[in-house]
Amino acid sequence: MSPLEIERIDGVPVARVREDVDAANATTTQQQLADALGPDASSLVVDLSEARYLDSAGIDMLLRLGDRLDHRRAKLVLVIPDTSQLKRLAAIVGLPDAIAVRPSLQEALREAARSATDLDMPEQATTGGTSPG
Amino acid sequence: MQQLQAQRENGHDAEGGRSTLGSSVSEARRSHLLSIADAALGYMSLEDMLSELLERIRSSLEVDTAAVLLLDEDRGVLVARAARGLEEEVRQGVQVPLARGFAGRVAVEARPIIIADLDYADVVNPILRQKGIRSMLGVPVHVEGRVIGVMHIGTLVRRDFDEDDVTLLQLAADRAALAIDNARISEQRSVTAIMQRALLPGALPEIPGMRFSAKYLPAGSGIKIGGDWYDVFQLVNGRVAFVIGDVVGRGVLAASVMAEIRTALRAYMAQGHKLTDVVSMLNELLISMGSNRGATLSILELDAEAEELEVVTAGHLPPLLIEPDGRARLLEQKHGLPVGVRTGHRYQASRYPFPTGSRLLLYTDGLIERRGESIDEGFERLAVAACAAAAGTESSFADRVYRTLLDETPLEDDVALLAIETMPLQDTLEMTLPARPYVLGGLRNTLGRWLQAVGADESELFDITLSASEAATNAIEHAYGAREATFAIRCEHDGERVTIVVRDSGRWRTARPPSGGRGLGIIHSLIDEVSVENDQDGTVVTMTKRLTRGA
Repeated sequence: MSPLEIERIDGVPVARVREDVDAANATTTQQQLADALGPDASSLVVDLSEARYLDSAGIDMLLRLGDRLDHRRAKLVLVIPDTSQLKRLAAIVGLPDAIAVRPSLQEALREAARSATDLDMPEQATTGGTSPG
Repeated sequence: MQQLQAQRENGHDAEGGRSTLGSSVSEARRSHLLSIADAALGYMSLEDMLSELLERIRSSLEVDTAAVLLLDEDRGVLVARAARGLEEEVRQGVQVPLARGFAGRVAVEARPIIIADLDYADVVNPILRQKGIRSMLGVPVHVEGRVIGVMHIGTLVRRDFDEDDVTLLQLAADRAALAIDNARISEQRSVTAIMQRALLPGALPEIPGMRFSAKYLPAGSGIKIGGDWYDVFQLVNGRVAFVIGDVVGRGVLAASVMAEIRTALRAYMAQGHKLTDVVSMLNELLISMGSNRGATLSILELDAEAEELEVVTAGHLPPLLIEPDGRARLLEQKHGLPVGVRTGHRYQASRYPFPTGSRLLLYTDGLIERRGESIDEGFERLAVAACAAAAGTESSFADRVYRTLLDETPLEDDVALLAIETMPLQDTLEMTLPARPYVLGGLRNTLGRWLQAVGADESELFDITLSASEAATNAIEHAYGAREATFAIRCEHDGERVTIVVRDSGRWRTARPPSGGRGLGIIHSLIDEVSVENDQDGTVVTMTKRLTRGA
């Protein structure tokens, strides 16, 4: 199940999750999201505006994805609109403590651009365990 | 070569003996041929029977070669099936295009053809020349007025075949035709049966609040397999996909193309692609795989909770929607070419409301097309039949529609018919599901429908559905992927509160899986009252939530 649509906006990969993420597809979805980052991008926006249900397997997946991106010195930014039921769920599980969550795609892109500037250092991304900030 | 020489000599002898034959001897030959044909040959396999028959023809008619070629209608060629004196023709699988060469002409013109001298004739098959065959007589092999092959005989010395020879060979060909047809019918029947079993869904999905029924009827005696098919499957996202289609052509080839299409569609759908992309991808796939892979089809996705139907049609007849109030309408779509025809073609999706109580009919042309009648008359008859059938209760909806339309009419074409109905869910919703993650989407979709019906608002619907899904995920983890493992969910309401009970059969469990903690935490946050009980039979999670506005 690949519920994703991926495009690049101003060089930032944006993955739209159109379907539920649960135990049936969390692993493949995580892989596809990680691939969406590509070799050069310093941030990935995962837009959950159209996603209806994201269960604990989906939450775990996003946390793992955030860690994985950290290792690649890249930043994960989620879009969860204020009107989404997922907003309450995210608060319950403390998702915003671990991952940047923004209410709109514009704000998420702004966050991505900001982190790109932060990370715009001559140093190459390495596989090492030194994660930024 | 030595054998050839011997045959040539035999031929000479035969020729020598022949000149003295009279009509009574000819009569004797005929009875000889017929007795062999009728008595012993009937109990042989087709291969042995044809071989024996050709041998008898060779000796009775005193010729050097005798062969049977059968028509492959899908490819438009004659294929050597049995031969005497020309065995390599069969071994090498000689194929003669229709309308070309000697055998091809016999088949196309459907009449006996005599070639007195091969040197001056159009012959495609190189073996005939290599063998040094000089004169030939060929007759069509008929079944019910159709040419299914060609039987021919040849001599290494020049011979002018006469009327008697033609009559005798035609008798033999008719006898062969009977045997070939019988063998083909039983062969094709078993192939048809196997393919149908393999290609049509065995059992239609069982989803609460929905009913599926289907009919599939191949036309005629079973010689020809149609390219009609249908498919129903639930997607991981909880929606249900329906396909109806008709592959160009018939026979096993068409059936194999249909198998390719069916598999490709299921694979693309399983990957979560949009309907329009699925049909575009199939179109490109079929074109890339080569010619003769065209098909018309409709593919639909039903979201029962959202009460919405999405349709993409590729050159197929429009689905018929019967609205809850009984009005029927065709879901017509323009610009949808059949798949496998034009590369780069863009397909369009249409969406329709599909409220509870709606019915949908997907069908192939055999259901509505009648000779000498316009297609609009067919649509009209279908709509009338569907409305009449919607009122009935016996058997299934598909069966009632079919019987209303076709009971009295002999089938001229294959018929595939798939009916979809949605109905209100029971007051208490109960499901027993395989303990596999792929059921979660369907569970949420059905539960969402039920919660809407009992009056849950948007956030209550989210909380209860997500919590039930979490409890189900735990039950699935407890099963550890054990085969046959299931879990049960029961949903009740008393007007004010909704209670969901998820029960697994933890017998498979050897140790508690490490995860599940976060899921249980989510449930506790979203649900008013939660209890988790473990006993010998497994784990029971009971969740109760008060609704702000009960049904």
